[in-house]
Amino acid sequence: MDKNGELSSINEQINKIKNENNKYTLGNIIYIQDYIIHVIGLDDAFFFERVVIGTDNIGYITKIEATYAVVAIIKKNGEISVGDSVHRTNEPFLGIYSNSAIGRVIDIFGVDRLTDKKFKDILKLNIETTNIPIVNRAKVSRPLLTGITGIDLIYPIGKGQRQLIIGDKKTGKTQICIDTIVNQNDKGVICIYNAIGKTKKEVKQIYYELLKRGAMKYTVIIAAFYEDAPTVLTLTPYFALSVAQLYMSNKYDVLVVIDDLKKHADAYREIGLMSSKTPGRDAYPADIFYFHSRLLEKGCQHKNGGSISILPIMETKSGDITDYISTNIISITDGQIVLSSKNFDKGERPAIDYGLSVSRLGGAVQDANMKKLGAKVRSKLLTYLETRDIYELANADEMTDELRNRLFEGKKIVDALKQYKYSPITPNEMMEKLKFVEEENNG
Amino acid sequence: MVGKIISISEINVKILCEDLSGIKIGDILGVDDENQFEVVEINDNIITSIPLKKVIGLKKGLAVKKYDDGIKIEYSDNILGRVFNPYGKLLEGNNFQTEKAKNVYDYKMDFKSVNVNNELFLTGIKIVDFFAPLCKGYKMGFLGGAGVGKTVLIKELIHNVYTSKGSNSVFIGIGERSREGRELIDEMKEANLFNKISLVFGQMGENPVERSKAIYSGVTLCEYLRDEKKQDVLLFIDNSYRFVQAKSEISMELNHIPIENGYTTTLNSDVSEIEERINSNENGTITSIQTIYVPADDLNDEAVQTIVSHMDGQITLDRKIAEKGLYPAINVFKSRSKALDVDIIGETHYNLVQEVLRYYTRYEELEEIIAVLGIDELSNDDKNIFYRTRKLRNYFTQPMFVAENYTNIAGEFVEIADVLKDVSDILNGIYDSIDESKFLYIGRIKV
Repeated sequence: MDKNGELSSINEQINKIKNENNKYTLGNIIYIQDYIIHVIGLDDAFFFERVVIGTDNIGYITKIEATYAVVAIIKKNGEISVGDSVHRTNEPFLGIYSNSAIGRVIDIFGVDRLTDKKFKDILKLNIETTNIPIVNRAKVSRPLLTGITGIDLIYPIGKGQRQLIIGDKKTGKTQICIDTIVNQNDKGVICIYNAIGKTKKEVKQIYYELLKRGAMKYTVIIAAFYEDAPTVLTLTPYFALSVAQLYMSNKYDVLVVIDDLKKHADAYREIGLMSSKTPGRDAYPADIFYFHSRLLEKGCQHKNGGSISILPIMETKSGDITDYISTNIISITDGQIVLSSKNFDKGERPAIDYGLSVSRLGGAVQDANMKKLGAKVRSKLLTYLETRDIYELANADEMTDELRNRLFEGKKIVDALKQYKYSPITPNEMMEKLKFVEEENNG
Repeated sequence: MVGKIISISEINVKILCEDLSGIKIGDILGVDDENQFEVVEINDNIITSIPLKKVIGLKKGLAVKKYDDGIKIEYSDNILGRVFNPYGKLLEGNNFQTEKAKNVYDYKMDFKSVNVNNELFLTGIKIVDFFAPLCKGYKMGFLGGAGVGKTVLIKELIHNVYTSKGSNSVFIGIGERSREGRELIDEMKEANLFNKISLVFGQMGENPVERSKAIYSGVTLCEYLRDEKKQDVLLFIDNSYRFVQAKSEISMELNHIPIENGYTTTLNSDVSEIEERINSNENGTITSIQTIYVPADDLNDEAVQTIVSHMDGQITLDRKIAEKGLYPAINVFKSRSKALDVDIIGETHYNLVQEVLRYYTRYEELEEIIAVLGIDELSNDDKNIFYRTRKLRNYFTQPMFVAENYTNIAGEFVEIADVLKDVSDILNGIYDSIDESKFLYIGRIKV
């Protein structure tokens, strides 16, 4: 960062001190429950204002009552007890980003977690930006290539699309996203990997994988670890999208991976119950849908040419994608890639369940040849998967030739879709591999 | 000045009043043009209000004054070809300068003016027209969990009824994707139909207050077309469940005691209030198609059942059928319509439906038997039922105009007479020698 920038930010602070006569309203804590505190005396504080508790703990105002204010603590550096002073800052709680954050692992406070140092050239960003209106959106039509045949050909993802990756533990959800990030090399896409509620070890591993494959050149990892406060866990994805919006407004294509939304929902439930919000289905607050919908609605093709594509990840239990939070997210996203542990164990990688997966944009984001072949392969594959179950016990000798051929061809398609990690291929290679579907039909 | 703000949370702003005269429930109060609230409760000298937009930046002690007596929307011919937000403001272009705005809560429909007729209303979608046909003035609910094809189906209907009917219509988007809103506007413009529709959007990125108001504004537009223009109107609502959901979010913030699954205590009255406005009278009919989201695939969900009780028919979409790649993924056992009546559809049609349902039921039983014994062990009668039902199932899939991007097959509108003939031919074994895959994604059978 240059000297001028530093000077101007110091000047700004001096001016502020002058204008406000260095007076900040002081309040006092009257109630503490974990990370929720009640404060009296902050009468002129505004909703979502950042406050400082004691000397270096940070919180923000989540509710203003007639006699006190409710503050959620977001960063705790020391002890907090009843009677401690709380002072206003006269600005909303903002996330801190830096243009030199690409290639690093960062948090919402502007700290480079790899070195634990604060960035010098900082940008203050609203945690939550306003919704992108319908009139500023454009049609999603350009492909975002993952390099994976089962996705690019069968259930394609477009730039500006939100495609959910859903499945049990250890079915390769994160791997698909990492493969996709790696495949963006030299494609001019900025990638944001947002970890929510991951262990430090997991995030470090992902960082090394991306670094090894040269993907950190265009990627920033925004992490909220398991041990961070639930307030941090809930706000971090909004911040990640805020960063994405910054790039999109400069006409960049951005890819955001959110890993994962189940932890995000659970952190929000914790805060909701702690602040005595009425619980709804499965004890989640009644606005849990809105909590995710306004986040994922930031994904779009902007009419200025930039775009935000989002790959949210959702972890399920025993393959049940019909639980409350999963169906909420499915009803928000533009499709889902469902991963099945049965397929994974059978050695089918990626372990995509083609019957349950959907892309609502389909061929609209493919080029003409991919679209034509993709529709054909998808329909043959689905018919095969369905007939396979029914005719499994039928006697092969008594089948009609037509049926036998169909079963044989289906098996060939399933084999052709197998693909291991870090082995991306181009659309041309995909079409070459599945050319036989086209040929057999003609013959 | 009405009073001052004394407390603030996300969807709840309380105002301490100095002067309560002339303030009533539904009034719009505000600090400035940006920060406005709707009055929902008055307790002595404290007003509880719900903010129309975000509250970030609001402070205690700010002075509040009255802006308007309720949410209003344009009530004139200007509404066609326009896109509104839930508060009656235009999303594109400048707002109207006329005095012809109407309060969105004003209308009540009395018993004597409700009209009923039973004129069939065909959609050209085989499975809908055959199993759960619509009549003019009907309310039809499309039920389904997440991602089983509700929106595609409603879009296909819009496409088909426009090409055949060409009447004016209203589309209300509640709590659905903004991307779909954008696409709908573009598609209407491309097809030169935009000047026949007016749209209201309160999509899923908007706060619950916006999402809960879209339906009132939209229905008011519908009433204009019916009562002032004397038209038969089509009303599309995507998605009615989201209205109830938004109401529940608000009620949580107002600390009301919820019923099961966090739904608002006023669930029943909220739904009735609005659904009872959607009716036909002597001026014209309103035929409405509403999608109803089924949370967690739970068809017994209280909100879903409450909305369904207002419908004349329901089409239920099923994940198990979607999984097999059979679209539209309609579960025929859970779909019904009041029009499935000999007097309305005629004996031939009625008997065919009964026969097909008998085949489907037997097929389900046979599937279990086959899983143990294999097909070869079945009797000849059962074998016929098994193979013919698989053909019927495939036949009731359909290439859709709006799904050409997924299927790469051109859409088809199928006449009900063709459907009846084809179904009876399949049942009579005329196509026994043809492979079942030949029936997938076709219009009528062409041999």
